[in-house]
Amino acid sequence: MAAGSPYLRVTYAETNRILPEPYQRVLVVAIAVAVLVLPMVSNAYVIYLLNLTFLAVIGAVGLNLLTGYCGQVSLGHASFLAIGAFVTAILSNRYGAPVWLALPAACLVGAMVGFVVGLPALRFRGIYLAITTLAMHYAIIFVLTTYQANFGSSATAGISVPAPALGGYEINSGRAWYYALLLVSAGVVVFSLNVSRGYIGRAWVAIRDRDIAAASVGINVARFKLLAFVCSATLAALAGSLGAYFTGVVTVEAYTLELAIIYLAMIIVGGMGSVAGAVLGAVFMTLLPFGIERLFEALPHAWRLGTTSYGLQEAVTGVAIIFFLLFEPKGLIEIYRRTAEYFERWPFRYRELQPAERR
Amino acid sequence: MMKSIAARLGLAAFAVGLATAPLQAQEYKIGYITDLSGPLAGSYTPTWQGFELYMKALNERGGVNGRKIKISLDDDGLRADRAVAAAKKQVERDDVLGIFGLSLSSTIGPVLGEMRKAGVPVASTFSAILDALPPAKPMYYSTGVAFEVAGEAIGVLSQRIAPKGKIVGVTFDSVGGRAALRHNKLMAEKLGYTWDEIVFPVRTADFTPFAQSAAALKPDIVVGHYGAEQNLGYVTALRAAGYAGPYVIAAYGASEATVKQAAQQSGSGANLYIVSRFAPVTDNVPGTKSIKDAAAKYGLADLNSMHVTGWTLGAFAEEALKKCGADCTRELLDKALQTIKIDTQGLTGGAIEMKPDDHYGTSFWRLYRWDTDKLTAVGDWQSQGALTFPTQ
Amino acid sequence: MELLVSILVLGATNALLAAGIVIVYKASRIVNFAHGELAIVGAYVFYSAGLITQGQSLLLTIAATAAISALFGVAIYAALMRRLVGQPTFVAAMVTIGLAIVLKAAIVVFWHSKSVGINLTRQTLYTFPGGGRLTLVDVITVSCCIAFFAALFAFFNHTRLGRQFRGAAENPLLASQRQVNVNLILALAWGAAVFSASLAGVLFGSRSMLSPQSTIIGLSGLTAALVGGLDSLRGAVIGGLLVAAATYLTARLIDPALSEAVPFAILLIVMTWRPWGIFGTPEELNRV
Repeated sequence: MAAGSPYLRVTYAETNRILPEPYQRVLVVAIAVAVLVLPMVSNAYVIYLLNLTFLAVIGAVGLNLLTGYCGQVSLGHASFLAIGAFVTAILSNRYGAPVWLALPAACLVGAMVGFVVGLPALRFRGIYLAITTLAMHYAIIFVLTTYQANFGSSATAGISVPAPALGGYEINSGRAWYYALLLVSAGVVVFSLNVSRGYIGRAWVAIRDRDIAAASVGINVARFKLLAFVCSATLAALAGSLGAYFTGVVTVEAYTLELAIIYLAMIIVGGMGSVAGAVLGAVFMTLLPFGIERLFEALPHAWRLGTTSYGLQEAVTGVAIIFFLLFEPKGLIEIYRRTAEYFERWPFRYRELQPAERR
Repeated sequence: MMKSIAARLGLAAFAVGLATAPLQAQEYKIGYITDLSGPLAGSYTPTWQGFELYMKALNERGGVNGRKIKISLDDDGLRADRAVAAAKKQVERDDVLGIFGLSLSSTIGPVLGEMRKAGVPVASTFSAILDALPPAKPMYYSTGVAFEVAGEAIGVLSQRIAPKGKIVGVTFDSVGGRAALRHNKLMAEKLGYTWDEIVFPVRTADFTPFAQSAAALKPDIVVGHYGAEQNLGYVTALRAAGYAGPYVIAAYGASEATVKQAAQQSGSGANLYIVSRFAPVTDNVPGTKSIKDAAAKYGLADLNSMHVTGWTLGAFAEEALKKCGADCTRELLDKALQTIKIDTQGLTGGAIEMKPDDHYGTSFWRLYRWDTDKLTAVGDWQSQGALTFPTQ
Repeated sequence: MELLVSILVLGATNALLAAGIVIVYKASRIVNFAHGELAIVGAYVFYSAGLITQGQSLLLTIAATAAISALFGVAIYAALMRRLVGQPTFVAAMVTIGLAIVLKAAIVVFWHSKSVGINLTRQTLYTFPGGGRLTLVDVITVSCCIAFFAALFAFFNHTRLGRQFRGAAENPLLASQRQVNVNLILALAWGAAVFSASLAGVLFGSRSMLSPQSTIIGLSGLTAALVGGLDSLRGAVIGGLLVAAATYLTARLIDPALSEAVPFAILLIVMTWRPWGIFGTPEELNRV
């Protein structure tokens, strides 16, 4: 049997398994069961938080493809979300398009915009690319703001989006959204894992590590960089579109630079270049402010410092970014990996020379 | 014989009273969500403090219908998703009867959508969206400032500053600002003024070019339709650009504190006006006396018209709960809100009255001028009923 | 005429902010995204210091704010940036973004998001024919900027420490082998950067007002630095003036609502034509 150590795998099939160790398979099944059963035992507030988390997961996994795998720093993620939301809102509000038309259309527009935003990436790297994507973000938001100011009236302060209906069944309860979003995010995670394990993913990692070397072994760097931008923007547009249906109202004020930074924080905190890391980071960063809120509520009244506690909640995102970058740059997933490796090897203490590839 | 029967009856009554007392000691639970840490916290925090002050004084008096009021406070940071999350939490976990406060119109829409599904009435102050104006949509009430109404009110009140001439309206590029400007323009042109406008980006920090543009138009009156802090910067820039004429602050969160700072920062308080729905605390009316007493008791300093706004919402909430009765539920509260009328004790020009098809009511607006160290009223309250001009 | 003066004054503020970003970049190749927040927090500290001294001693307030800012800059280096040696500069940039979030929250916590104005002086020096006023604050802004840049030029070109600074920026390993105290250089750089940020913030707050939203001026400073060249002080001045001129002219002559997009338009143009900025050194592009 090949269980217990990466060195004892003797067939290609075993090496290529997504979950090679039995304990990993048990863990995944346990998580899946918990996630499926959770809505039946929680109240609407918890379900709402989990729905927000699923939306964040879709966006974070998308950003991870671009920044984690392909190494292209992008500060424009919020603008892709905004485009997805606005296209959906315009199509369903102005033209009465149903969800199975508006959603794919939003993703398509997101892909096109992603292509355009990715063009400067062929020329720049690192900080300059970040600045360029920042400029693109502001350009896109400016266009959308002008649109909203001229279209919306004070009544809705934004564009309202009717609940999505699939085959006569309308999704407008927390539970229905939960399962719908669960399905979509699971699909996105599987898609991302698939891409990252194939030729495209390996090309991206090569470009991230040394794009000149990647070009010298025959990888078409321009094509793959643009592909990364397109994939990331499509997934972000998907997340934005679903978010628009979920919230019911689309306002451009929600898509700020801070939102883009929160998504970057998600993949940094979770672990860049890892799908599981992106998911973990999304869960962590979404639930953290609410967790802090709960913490403050548990304190006796006198300790709550009045309304300054809310300012502290704002600070938490920044503190999390700094903390993880300084002390745990590989993110939460690294903590999991270290623990898993420790127990895998126990009672031995040796460390591998060549760490096995982890997803 | 008779004495012991009476005694036993008395004892029995006392026991029954004891048994039912815990039921009556239940509290009314209401929720308050607003921006306490975000861009508009400077205006919304005093509004919350005014509301809290009213509730503290009310609970001290014994509450409403013999029950005290318990408030669940949440911050939304001016973000719609956090506002909705807070609303859901208050509805599910804290079991609130209604939600009060709220913040900018961009957060009110999403919260309303969810609260209508849950059957929880929402009453906002500070901002009002058109859902409250007739024909009113369900479950939403407001004692705050609707941009369109404010624009028209200011148009009318401009006549007290200068009967004719050119008005330049300034706002930042937002839905509310543009709506206010549109209605201000329509009213001003109807009254015979010429109109011009300047719209600057929301995130401006340096107002010099926009102030210079306004001054170059040689206006007779300049009106600013934005939040408190922009007034501070804009007035300074306007005076530096050489315009010394009348400047009217439209009070979306601006109070006498804002005017005072603007006067200090720009070097002169001359020709500075403010149009507000609620009175500054320096007005000598019964309402301000109540607020000052309560503030002195609970140690709240630096009162201004934002505290008055919150205080009035507190009175509004009290009246609604009183009318709702001892066995108040969400549906009953909504029903009660549809027909309440409160006497604002001079804090605004008249009573705030809700009707089944009008959840905003007639609003009263007053023009104040800054005189050295406080606001003095210019004329009496101006009442605005239904909108003169249709919305877009 | 009035327009020219306004452009000069705003250009001076932008140049000061850009200078802080350039100093840090020259020393360590790190782009500081928190510069706007540092400027505004420094200005709030000045405001509070003024309240404590009750407006009596301007000198004391200035000295206190300068000392606090410089020490805070050194603290940022010692606590945060020093630990990031060896990591890609993107990581350090993300840390500055995190710092920006924390500083913005600090304004909410310590000053309750209040909008305040700084009252340096109210004196008007000259009134233009059109009615605009030239105030003493305007003159002070421009003169502070000139003085600061003069001091920087003198420091880098004529002092031993300045030459060591340039050496350490060029090749830290080699410089440290030659007994240049690289830690001291970097700490100085950060201290000077935060000091200049506070200076810019205070001057800005005297002409306009301060609120948590004012941190957006950091973006103009960053744009000015990028346009002029991230490692060129000359570029900081030119970039600052260019961005100021474009913003003002758009706001006055074309459309006020468009003026927000102007710095980014300039950025995109410069990035396309000459990515390393007007006065920057060309190899910077491939270094990161």
